[in-house]
Amino acid sequence: MNRFVEQLAANDVAELGMPGSLLAGPTAAMAGPTGHGLSFELAAGNNPAEFAQHFIDAKSEKDSLIKIAHGTTTLAFKFREGVMVATDSRATSGNVIASQTVKKVIEINPYLLGTMAGGAADCSFWERVLGMECRLHELRNKKRISVAAASKLLANLVYRYKGMGLSMGTMVAGWDEKGPGLYYVDSDGQRLANDIFSVGSGSTFAYGVLDSHYRYDMDIEEARDVARRAIYHATHRDAYSGGVVRMYLVQRDGWVPYPLEDVGDLYYQYHPEVQLTNRTESPLTVVPA
Amino acid sequence: MDAQFAISGRDFVISVTDKGVARSIVKMKHNEDKTWQLSSHTLMSVSGEAGDTANFSEYIQGNVRLYSMRNSQDLSPSELANFIRGELAAALRSRSPSQVNLLVAGYDKGKDEAALYWIDYLSAMAKVPFAAHGYCGYFLYSVMDREYTPEITLEEAKALIKKCFEVLKTRFIVDFANYTIKVVDRNGTHEIRQDEL
Amino acid sequence: MARRYDSRTTIFSPEGRLYQVEYAMEAISHAGTVIGVLSKDGIVLAAERQATSNLLEQSVDNEKIYEMNENVVAGVAGHAADANILINQSRIVAQRYLLKYDSPIPVEQLVRNLCDLKQGYTQHGGLRPFGVAFLCAGWDSALGFQLYQSDPAGNYSSWKATCIGENNNNAQSILKQEYKDDDKEESGPNVKSVGSQMTMDDALKLTCQVLSKTIDTAKLSSEKLEFATLTLKSGKPCIHVYTSSEIDEVLKTYESVIKPADNQ
Repeated sequence: MNRFVEQLAANDVAELGMPGSLLAGPTAAMAGPTGHGLSFELAAGNNPAEFAQHFIDAKSEKDSLIKIAHGTTTLAFKFREGVMVATDSRATSGNVIASQTVKKVIEINPYLLGTMAGGAADCSFWERVLGMECRLHELRNKKRISVAAASKLLANLVYRYKGMGLSMGTMVAGWDEKGPGLYYVDSDGQRLANDIFSVGSGSTFAYGVLDSHYRYDMDIEEARDVARRAIYHATHRDAYSGGVVRMYLVQRDGWVPYPLEDVGDLYYQYHPEVQLTNRTESPLTVVPA
Repeated sequence: MDAQFAISGRDFVISVTDKGVARSIVKMKHNEDKTWQLSSHTLMSVSGEAGDTANFSEYIQGNVRLYSMRNSQDLSPSELANFIRGELAAALRSRSPSQVNLLVAGYDKGKDEAALYWIDYLSAMAKVPFAAHGYCGYFLYSVMDREYTPEITLEEAKALIKKCFEVLKTRFIVDFANYTIKVVDRNGTHEIRQDEL
Repeated sequence: MARRYDSRTTIFSPEGRLYQVEYAMEAISHAGTVIGVLSKDGIVLAAERQATSNLLEQSVDNEKIYEMNENVVAGVAGHAADANILINQSRIVAQRYLLKYDSPIPVEQLVRNLCDLKQGYTQHGGLRPFGVAFLCAGWDSALGFQLYQSDPAGNYSSWKATCIGENNNNAQSILKQEYKDDDKEESGPNVKSVGSQMTMDDALKLTCQVLSKTIDTAKLSSEKLEFATLTLKSGKPCIHVYTSSEIDEVLKTYESVIKPADNQ
């Protein structure tokens, strides 16, 4: 009976739980990522985050069990016609190029895109979970989820595993009742809204081109050109970025992909004066006009 | 590296936060408002660990609004500060401590006076006339110590804040460029633009 | 069959009544009277002790009036043992609030919490409702002096002057007649404290007057009575629970209004 008294009288705890935190779950080991029976096991013990820290590559790359490929260039921006999303396609593992044909844009649903930077597995896993949550939202509410809500779901989802080795830097782009939406969400649980974002090791290069050529008032072709060039220049200077430029445009009726463009081809397109030669002194020589 | 400070007079508090959000060496945003409205007459500015700031603030904001709704009355700035400190202290010893530095600026309608509380991520709390968090404090505390009087007027406080901006601009390695400046007084809270100082 | 609807608190009768809760209220209407009167600068609580005997050790503790928090004092009518549980819980709740906000709990919140607890016992299977009603006199900075009444069902209401326990109907009607109020509405004293014209002396006097008419005794004495006041001293709430000699003094002061009870 005393328990009952306590239960009714215990009015002292703040009653809204933290949405993303472990405090919301019953115990750390039981807290599933989605609340739909899917579970993402944590190390048993007092502090799973501390335990996981030993295996994360931040401190000692050599001994770490969790190695994450970080190199990437991704970008997205809002403009007059919608949201332009562009990425490179290179995956690296240490100093090896593991793939030149990675798809770093995740199609969450016909109106939502996510980009991939950081751990590829983390990004695709959580954005698939997000896709499921968005579909459930749609079924429950007979209405598409807003970009704000979708990105918040993702932020809350990963915030629960903060400090446990997730690595994710993603942009959620889409279209909802309010128009174009663009959010940045990362594995720290950070979530930002803005007009322009770029994420990954090549982001500084992309930002440079983007910031100096971006105008809100661009038409679609201009926007494509800015995005393409920003990715291209990033791949040119960042060893961990390369492959092809993958681009999507999000508008009222959802997203459409554009054909892939090899950054190697773009190089010759942007520098027509450069030609391949057979001469020994230099493989690439500028031919005097 | 955030700029976060505040100055209180008898019947007002001015809260200042920078608008930048940075990750690693990249500025990702230039227009983020780092203050949270807790009630009509209380404002909380937040800096610290990415992710924690929004999460902890939303948690506090939600619970404070729940209190107001349930009890048809708002918590006073002192009650709010004590509540926030308590929640932060509880989080500190939990599995998921929130690393956030806070300034709670409020106007106590019952006592008819302004109040400013300084709370750090270890949940130490103090009621102070002026406050700063982080590197800004190294530059600004001396300036505020030099210029502050308890009788400071709103106009004088604005001038002092302008002086603080100058100091940061000349001596601090980071250029904050944009600031959110908010005043809490008898009439509630309102934002002022940098050029209105 | 007769016991089908009154043996469990959780079951409605076909007429939509909760008999156990009603029985609990019935128990209270036989309990010692508790009177609360609000004035513009404080609140008077008075309670009648029913079972007295010259063999009973007069303990220092009160059995009817309890301090719940620095700003709330309560009078209880009904089962003393049940009341103890609720008072203990309320004291804990008040202290938790103080710990959390560093400020005394607003009176209504404390009362509501108490009533939530009472309500729970009218709904959960196998549990008996609390057989107590409370009169809570309190002060907080937002709403000033407040007087609340609560019943076993978990309802509460705010009053300028009210009474629970035996003869409460009688007492209510005297209070309604004699209470000096700013607004001359007929609707009774069920409005917030603003506008009371009563002073603390008036309130004490009125309390004695009502006590004399509701308690069935030849002469009122401190043996059968408990008194407490809640006032403000330099901006802080101050609870004073009267000693028996102080009660006798009060009774003497207002002797004129205390007429020997007419045989009603």
